[in-house]
Amino acid sequence: MAFQSLTTPKSDLLLALKNGLCMNKWPVAAMDTQRLDMAKDYVKVLQEKFPESKRVGRLEALLLEAMGLWEEAEKAYSSLLEDNELDPVIHKRRVAMAKAQGNISGAIEWLNKYLEIFMADHDAWRELAEIYVSLQMYKQAAFCYEELILSQPTIPLYHLAYADVLYTLGGIENLHMAKKYYASTIDLTGGKHTRALFGVCLSTSAIDQLTKGRNKDDKENSQLASLSATALGKDYKQRAPNKVSLLASTLRSLKLSS
Amino acid sequence: MAEDLVLDTAIRDWVLIPLSVVMVLIGILRYFVSKLMRSSNQVPDPKMVKEGQVIIRARNLRAAANYIPAKSFRARRVYFSNEENGLLYVPKGQAQNAQAQMFSDPNMAMDMMKKNLSMIIPQTLTFAWVNFFFSGFVAAKIPFPLTQRFRSMLQNGIDLSTVDVSYVSSRSWYFLNLFGLRGLFSLILGEENATDDTQRMMQMSGFGFDPTKSLGAEKDSLDIFQHEWALPKFEQRAEAVLKKLVS
Repeated sequence: MAFQSLTTPKSDLLLALKNGLCMNKWPVAAMDTQRLDMAKDYVKVLQEKFPESKRVGRLEALLLEAMGLWEEAEKAYSSLLEDNELDPVIHKRRVAMAKAQGNISGAIEWLNKYLEIFMADHDAWRELAEIYVSLQMYKQAAFCYEELILSQPTIPLYHLAYADVLYTLGGIENLHMAKKYYASTIDLTGGKHTRALFGVCLSTSAIDQLTKGRNKDDKENSQLASLSATALGKDYKQRAPNKVSLLASTLRSLKLSS
Repeated sequence: MAEDLVLDTAIRDWVLIPLSVVMVLIGILRYFVSKLMRSSNQVPDPKMVKEGQVIIRARNLRAAANYIPAKSFRARRVYFSNEENGLLYVPKGQAQNAQAQMFSDPNMAMDMMKKNLSMIIPQTLTFAWVNFFFSGFVAAKIPFPLTQRFRSMLQNGIDLSTVDVSYVSSRSWYFLNLFGLRGLFSLILGEENATDDTQRMMQMSGFGFDPTKSLGAEKDSLDIFQHEWALPKFEQRAEAVLKKLVS
């Protein structure tokens, strides 16, 4: 749709827009591909057709955002919010603007306020988790990933991300939990997820490092590490045969350090 | 007494089918009218939205609680059901208040009135029409035998007491259609259609303030819940998966 709008002549498109086809998508597509002049034309046509519409107001504010006029866009969004306090899209645009301006803490603040009301919106939780990870606030990121796992427990991506965060946090307890979540990712993906397999090996070796010298009586899960190492070897042989030696040496170094 | 009445096929052509067709058309008409009449001030109340979302989140918590570690679960449970500022805790005084507010809020009252009207008027009109035109004769035969108690309900226009109860008048065909066309409407008009009378009737009879009750219910079920961390099981399952993969 977007590419079509870029190649067909302008007059045809304006006519089609006047007749109400795909009103929302073309201006957004034009803005996505940085064709701001086309976007301006579209928005103007829509404004003539629907002078009092909320959607057109949103598009106008979006255009201001795309042009980089942050204060005007902020004003436009605030006025839109006055009319309709609970429009999730506008709230999210505000967060996106803060993020685009580099104001990450402002983005976090807006996002938290949004989540206080719309706490079942898992996309927002995901965004917040990624922001926290980028700021290295891992405890908060862990909380967000827990929310994600709660709302959609069968998506392996969230288990994996949670395990990554736990592994990064470190500490025996977290490493054990990380290993368990890598294991659940493996289970959910049928053993084919390379990163999860590596995660299991790494967390096992990290745990062994930390418990060096203390009694290792829970040796029952050492099988998991060796199994995943074997699975990794098999996978690499199939998909990247020239890297098998690299893999072997890495795995050996992990085992040796235990 | 099991005489087999032979019903004229003209009955089928001129009673049963037109009645169904008319009801379908009226349903579609009501759907569009309700769309037009829907008040434009659909500004959702922030409190209601938040409560709805809280319920969803609490439900998710209960559903998938075994996937997160015990500490996190407990922290969240306290957050939700804490006596002072827990999200799900609704003191008794507030509950009554809310119900009174619902009745006195003019907008809400208007909305309910409109919805009720749009349901009652077509029903009444159609019923009167059926009674006027299609009464006094046997319209259909129900394939299974019934007891005598149903006679007054189903055989309204037929004043012979010896006719088998399975032979019903068109009024019962009307009621059958009323409840049965719901499925057809969900097919034609999509999920949310104003013709969902039966659901609405059930809602009307149970006129409770929804959010408060469901909040309390969620809190109770959350309090009862026993957390059992499922992750250790996953380690073993992962081992099994890998064993199968590697062997």
